Amino acid sequence: MKRRDFLKLSGATCLALASLELDNRFLRRLEAAEVSELPGSLGAKEIPSVCDMCFWRCPIIVKVKNGKIVKIEGNPKSPTNGTRICARGNAGIQAVYDKDRLKYPLKRTGARGEGKWARISWEEALDEIAYNIKKVKEKYGVHSLALFDHGASAGFFREIFEALGTENFSNEPAFFQCVGPTILAYLFTYGYQAVDPAKIDFENAKAILLVGSHLGENVQVSMIKSWITALEKGAKLIVVDPRFSVAAGKADLWLPIRPGTDMALLLAWMNYLIEKGLYDKDFVKNYCEGFEEVKEAVQGYTLSWAAKICDLPERDIKKAIEILAEAKPHVAIHPGRHTAWYGPQDVQRHRALAILTALLGAVNVPGGMYFPTKPHLQKAEFLELEEDHEVEPPEESLKEDIPFANIFHGSPTDCIIKATLTGEPYPVKLWGVCGVNLLQTIPNPYQTIEAIKKLDFIFTIDIMPTESSFWSDIVLPDATYLERYDRLYVCKENKCYVALRQPIIKPMFESRPPFWIAKELAKRLGFKVRFKDEVEYLNHQLEPLKLDVEKLSAQGGIAVFPAKPFRDKEDLSFGTDSEKVELYCEAFEDEDFDGVPKFIPAPAPPKGYVRLIYGRVPVHTFAKTMNNLWLNHEWPENKLWVNDKLAKQLGLKDGDEVILENQDGTRSDPIKIFVTPGIRPDAVYLAHGFGSRSPMMTRAYKKGVSDTFLMTHYENDPMMGASSHRNNFVRFIKDGKVINIPELRPVPPEIPRFELKKSA
Amino acid sequence: MRQWAMVIDLNRCVGCHACTIACRAEWEVPIGNGYRRNWVKHLGPEETPHGLAFTFYPGLCNHCDNPVCVEVCPADEVEVVFKDPYSNKTKKMSVKATYKHPFTGAVLIDKERCLGCGNCVEACPYNARYLNEDLEEPKADKCTFCFDRVIRGEEPACVKTCIADARIFGDLSDPKSKVYELVHKKGAKRLVSKEVNIGPNVYYIGKEKDLYLLMKQAPTKRTWEELE
Repeated sequence: MKRRDFLKLSGATCLALASLELDNRFLRRLEAAEVSELPGSLGAKEIPSVCDMCFWRCPIIVKVKNGKIVKIEGNPKSPTNGTRICARGNAGIQAVYDKDRLKYPLKRTGARGEGKWARISWEEALDEIAYNIKKVKEKYGVHSLALFDHGASAGFFREIFEALGTENFSNEPAFFQCVGPTILAYLFTYGYQAVDPAKIDFENAKAILLVGSHLGENVQVSMIKSWITALEKGAKLIVVDPRFSVAAGKADLWLPIRPGTDMALLLAWMNYLIEKGLYDKDFVKNYCEGFEEVKEAVQGYTLSWAAKICDLPERDIKKAIEILAEAKPHVAIHPGRHTAWYGPQDVQRHRALAILTALLGAVNVPGGMYFPTKPHLQKAEFLELEEDHEVEPPEESLKEDIPFANIFHGSPTDCIIKATLTGEPYPVKLWGVCGVNLLQTIPNPYQTIEAIKKLDFIFTIDIMPTESSFWSDIVLPDATYLERYDRLYVCKENKCYVALRQPIIKPMFESRPPFWIAKELAKRLGFKVRFKDEVEYLNHQLEPLKLDVEKLSAQGGIAVFPAKPFRDKEDLSFGTDSEKVELYCEAFEDEDFDGVPKFIPAPAPPKGYVRLIYGRVPVHTFAKTMNNLWLNHEWPENKLWVNDKLAKQLGLKDGDEVILENQDGTRSDPIKIFVTPGIRPDAVYLAHGFGSRSPMMTRAYKKGVSDTFLMTHYENDPMMGASSHRNNFVRFIKDGKVINIPELRPVPPEIPRFELKKSA
Repeated sequence: MRQWAMVIDLNRCVGCHACTIACRAEWEVPIGNGYRRNWVKHLGPEETPHGLAFTFYPGLCNHCDNPVCVEVCPADEVEVVFKDPYSNKTKKMSVKATYKHPFTGAVLIDKERCLGCGNCVEACPYNARYLNEDLEEPKADKCTFCFDRVIRGEEPACVKTCIADARIFGDLSDPKSKVYELVHKKGAKRLVSKEVNIGPNVYYIGKEKDLYLLMKQAPTKRTWEELE
């Protein structure tokens, strides 16, 4: 029936039933029986827990009515997010009730990657995994086993693989494609883990510098809140980004830098501070080592040189550093997060940020770097190993040539993939994959697929049928965070608290919590598990706090302790060898790297191409949430950002569809373009995580274009082994015709050009 | 006379969509074409006379002073005794299926009496209403300023979840309220045009360049006059 017909009909018949109705919507005390009758989430049972829609883990309150999760809100007792949670946190409900979830253990029946499956029992699945682990270990040695992991509950599996004895027991793409370079840089400058999350007091800053960080589109609730509060209080914001990001929209100064030249800008700023005597002399004198080396190394890097290299107006570069110097020491410099950009210069770029921070004295002061406060928890080891349990390192390690890979657990993902492909220095024959989608995370997924084809066995533990699940032999359905306990969440910010994740509902279908899966697997591998269940495990951890799971839950799921983010000046020392901030890094120099960063340009686009850059949208986490009913509806696909002048020259209009072809001839599906002045003409931008290749993710499948599947070229950071993501270049194909892209911003001779392979 | 109102601070908003998902969850807004009680539209990056801008249009029902959606409702009026949620006062009033609540200024829908004709949906120049045709009988639906939450002392769902504290809700008739201050002293703006000004009670503050983009979103079509 059409609306209008319906109207005629009902207008005639539907006369007022009662002439006098009472509006009963007013405040009153409600009887228990009435509660479930209340509209919306009102009157629901409230259970405190911890979010897991991204890795930041905000404390939440989960609201349940009639056994169904109806709402998720921030936990008002949380000193960080309070009642706030982001779009993803709000949409956690649909992670649980997603129709495409992995429901039962699956066994591959067709060829790998063909997508043919049989439902099997947990018993059979676990037996098969244990059998293959033992078989591969026996045949190729223990180091042929590798675990790729991520997330809250991967820890149990990590312990199992570590106990098995492989050096490849935790190869986190989240580290080796993401935060690794900057963690290393700050660790060797400040001697503590200052990066994950950024230990920067945004809220009290007088000036904020973001280099390639797109806060706002990249969402950590507490950081957004303190950043925005600082801006409201008058902090100046400088954003260095080839794209006009949401953050750039709020900035006092946007520096649309030529991609790959950030280091030139940072070195010139350091030099300017030193030359003009604008650096924090007291802080440098009292708390830093290696100032003279820095001074010498950076002289010659002038603002005018940087202006040419970075393709920025010199006056803006100067204005920016003067804003920072003026605000010192209350300067918040974001250390960066996803920092595996170009390979060879990645660690050093973040060393430059770390040094700049110290030159401005922005350490241990409001608005600058702070120190985390750790609550006193008891270490809980999942496995009870024999006293004589020993593991032997391999004769030749995978990561032998990467001197700083060893300070982290596990191995660089690239080393595992290469060893799997080549059998050198030893064969890798079995992969476990837990909570990470390798093919939408690691550059050159085509190479990863080739490696997978060479494996004897691969199993995946996940919630959704991702691409990685799709290429596995056995797939185990993980419980979502709303159906399980997990390790305690310990806040590592300038507040100190411990929060409890606990099951809100029973695991749906045949999904199982990771503790149970790991315990069953451990048993089959001959290990003894120390704890009966998660509660016993958590109670053990909580013991020194005189808390247990029940008490912690009853007090609102969170235990808050006093934090001391700033140390007394007389006690201020750092965890480095010299106990000072190491502006010059001897350990790097000892391994033949630069003790002070030097400018190494990233190759410019080859003629006819633009650089492919990427980032996040605030409603999605990696490639993890694209199938979520609500989030998918909110942001179903990505668009390609194209500079307006470039588009005009190419005759392209907003909304036109193009195919992207990269420097190696790899092509994308068609994608709509978004024409904007908010991006440089030598780069195009895609939001990350779209264009799923797993047909089992019915909403996300082929929606938008995957940036990762256009990355066939990458370079490794020689220090810690990260794989880069920003060395790929594309041109367009429209209506079957190749469109070469004109160079609107000429490249100076100091910057080499990426060389196309002859075959491409 | 009490008037609930919301001020959205575009200086704070990062366009994260937490408000839209929280609303969908709270009120079980189904997935469907145009089915939503609130929204976030991305504006820019675009050149403005005040520089390059990138901002958002977070929209919701404006709970207008002169709600044209109420005017076009064809349901018969019935007499209802309304109670003030904040006191014991009552007021007897004849209202249609959609009406402006006498004690809060919220524009509400009586779902029992909604005919599902869609008149109000088409009348709203802000496109703030939708017709939920997933129900056995279609019903109009829209933002209520979370009436049921607010009268029980809770914040609106979108306000409570806003990660940047960009949404400020309160009573515009109360000179001590934050919304009063923002509207009367800080120059918060209504999204109106010379063609369409029906007294919206959602206001915006932001940089000149951001408001320039936002104001381009102001309705110019007198949609309610186009109804048959």
